[in-house]
Amino acid sequence: MTTVLHPLVKRFLDGELRLADLPPELHAEARAAERLLGAVDRAPVTLPAALEARVMAEVRQRVIAPSARRWWHRLAEPWEIRLRLRPWILGPALAAAAVLVLILARSQPPVPPVAVAAAPESVYVRFVLYAPGAHRVSVAGTFNQWDATTAPLAPAGAAGVWATTVALPVGQHQYAFLVDGRRWVNDPAAPMVDDGFGRRNSVVAVTAGAAGARAL
Amino acid sequence: MRTALVVLLLAAPSLALGVTATAQQPVAGRLAGRVPAGVVAAVSALGDSAAARGLPVDPLVDKAIEGGAKAAPPERIVAAVQAVFARLGRAQVALQAATPGVPAADAVEAGAFALSAGLEDANVQELARICVAPCSAAEALRVAGTLTALGVPAPEAVELVRQTLRSGGKERDLLALPGRVEAELAGGATPAQAAAGLARAAAARAAAHGQSGAPPHGPPTSRRP
Repeated sequence: MTTVLHPLVKRFLDGELRLADLPPELHAEARAAERLLGAVDRAPVTLPAALEARVMAEVRQRVIAPSARRWWHRLAEPWEIRLRLRPWILGPALAAAAVLVLILARSQPPVPPVAVAAAPESVYVRFVLYAPGAHRVSVAGTFNQWDATTAPLAPAGAAGVWATTVALPVGQHQYAFLVDGRRWVNDPAAPMVDDGFGRRNSVVAVTAGAAGARAL
Repeated sequence: MRTALVVLLLAAPSLALGVTATAQQPVAGRLAGRVPAGVVAAVSALGDSAAARGLPVDPLVDKAIEGGAKAAPPERIVAAVQAVFARLGRAQVALQAATPGVPAADAVEAGAFALSAGLEDANVQELARICVAPCSAAEALRVAGTLTALGVPAPEAVELVRQTLRSGGKERDLLALPGRVEAELAGGATPAQAAAGLARAAAARAAAHGQSGAPPHGPPTSRRP
């Protein structure tokens, strides 16, 4: 269950309009929305108590054991290799290598040039959904392989408001909210496209250097 | 010479293993446990076809995973993946018709998104043609697709992108277009009116700078009651 705010109320929340600029009949909706957003902004960010323990356990696992370190040094230290070749073997060896390269090249399908970002920049994006009566809400999309367990939303102060902040890589993403593990809900504030399964996905574009997601 | 030969002999097996592993980047592995086995086989076959045609494979896998997450029936998932495959192919053809060379994977993917949002093949081709360096065709296609997703008719979306580029607009100006359209919608304009108004403003800027952009035709922007 979601609520779509009146466009003028959205502009009021964005600071483009004052309350006095709104029609009187929108004052109540504007104040209510302002209260909700105020509650969201005040919600403290709390990390799970077990997070530090999990991180330290992971770090300890990655420390190289002494025996592994000895092996690593054996591998890393330079070896002296003496290779004696008769000149007549060079021709057949090069020919064999050329044939091997040709065979490998012919057996692979053509791969298109792919633009790969050296280090994809991430931007923190805050997802907020008004879903009164919901017991669980999460957000899933192309950024987390549609895994609804990785980005749960938490109640955010006011009744019915759920929110979470997710680091998204720069680019365009499609997503939807999953309410109570069974109902997919769109973000009413974002553009939508057909998902191919009889529903619609919301679209968000994350641009480099932005303070947050831009509704592209 | 000896050193080069040693390097070649040592590197050849590694090269062979590496190339083979890359080519077999397992679509099936990514889908295992997420979709039914029949879907895995069908999507793997589509992935092979896509790779052979130089199309990106990831959008196919992503769509299948999405279908599995949404508990869609297997035949529905395969149909959705086939639809993505078809749109990628249409986008590739449109891009190749507009510009020489092999289109970049991100442009093909953006073109497929634009088609899914409501643009036509001719629109994709036109956008790729009017978007010359340093303009990114992928970015222009994503912006136009998003405008269409906001309700802007395809011709008006293309015209808005065109006039923005003609007026000297940079990437950030393109990226700002959906937000500016949304602001107009909040003021009471229809999506078509919002886009046409912004396109006229861009054309006026182009004219002021001595560019050759003719103002687009269309009714003046009016507000809904």
